[in-house]
Amino acid sequence: MRIVIDILIFMGVFFAFAGTVGMIRFPDTFNRIHASGMITTMGIIGVIVGGILYCAFYLGDGAMVVKLVIMLVFYLITGPISSHAIMKGSYKHGVKPEKEMVIDQYGEDMVMEEEE
Amino acid sequence: MNKKRTMPGIISTAILCFIFWMIITGQIVAVFTGGASLQSIVIGLIVSILVGWFSSLFLINDSPFYLWMPARLVNLIGYIFITLPVAIFKANVDVAKRALSPHPKINPGIVKIPVDVSSDYGMALVADSITLTPGTVTMDIVEENGQTYYYVHWIDVETTDPAEAGEIIKGTFERKVKGIWG
Amino acid sequence: MIFEELLFFAICFIVMAICLFYRLIKGPSAADRAVTADCLDALTDMALILFALYSGRSVFLDLALITAILGFLGSVITSRYLEGRL
Repeated sequence: MRIVIDILIFMGVFFAFAGTVGMIRFPDTFNRIHASGMITTMGIIGVIVGGILYCAFYLGDGAMVVKLVIMLVFYLITGPISSHAIMKGSYKHGVKPEKEMVIDQYGEDMVMEEEE
Repeated sequence: MNKKRTMPGIISTAILCFIFWMIITGQIVAVFTGGASLQSIVIGLIVSILVGWFSSLFLINDSPFYLWMPARLVNLIGYIFITLPVAIFKANVDVAKRALSPHPKINPGIVKIPVDVSSDYGMALVADSITLTPGTVTMDIVEENGQTYYYVHWIDVETTDPAEAGEIIKGTFERKVKGIWG
Repeated sequence: MIFEELLFFAICFIVMAICLFYRLIKGPSAADRAVTADCLDALTDMALILFALYSGRSVFLDLALITAILGFLGSVITSRYLEGRL
């Protein structure tokens, strides 16, 4: 059981490391949001599922298990909301992408609405 | 947005809030082992009825027992515990490869994809699933001529055709959600 | 049985958070700083969870939950401000 817990938590550490590297290396804001999504999904899932197993098998503390489950559900609900809000807000704010986008249908449709 | 407060909506939202109160304050353990405090339970009941009256417009509005059918419940549990983690893991490995490779291979873009789900909960669930998998983020939802469209920011645009891109991004999610919320 | 590696993993998270300060200081626009603040929040949370498991005290879990809620509110309000609807 100890090996399973270690593997889960190490998976969280690895994906959080990949997210951090992506945050520093990716060229513009929109791509950095994808890297941040990697930290708040797989990092959180790995660490918290490992923590639930540790609490249930080694500490034997029911209240901590309940708190960890609440925290996992909270992160999985609010992570998409905040990344969607930041993406839309920064687009409306006028952040320009560093590298030219392949296709930008949102911008084209917004220009068409303004002309009408 | 001219919804009216209905009695079943208020009651079911209040029950949901009361269950959360019991779990967070730890009273649900104390009820079975003895020693639950009456004061705390009464306060939780009053507060959850107030919150239910206040927020039933946004959470549960009509037909509160829609999910209370075995087929839909089984589909929802399978979706949350099997489909979603597998998709999240695959997308994470893909984006991690891009981040850690010596030359980051990215060509971002915003595509517009059509979606067949019509109810509010279904649309929200599909949009949340798309955003939860790294590499795709939903930016906006619009409705044109009775067809719903999502604008999705995609880190690696493989194709610019709307139907093909939709199949790649949300094909499995949409087929599963259709079994729950139509 | 003592899990020494939990403390080691927590230190890994703290080191990653310190590396992210580079992006927080340099980030060209306000949106970059909002994204980075969100990430810092998640990393600090994971370090707090691991320390709570290591020491066996559940006070740190309450702190982590409060940090998560405040970070979510902060990033949503910042993005509303950037969108121009605050």
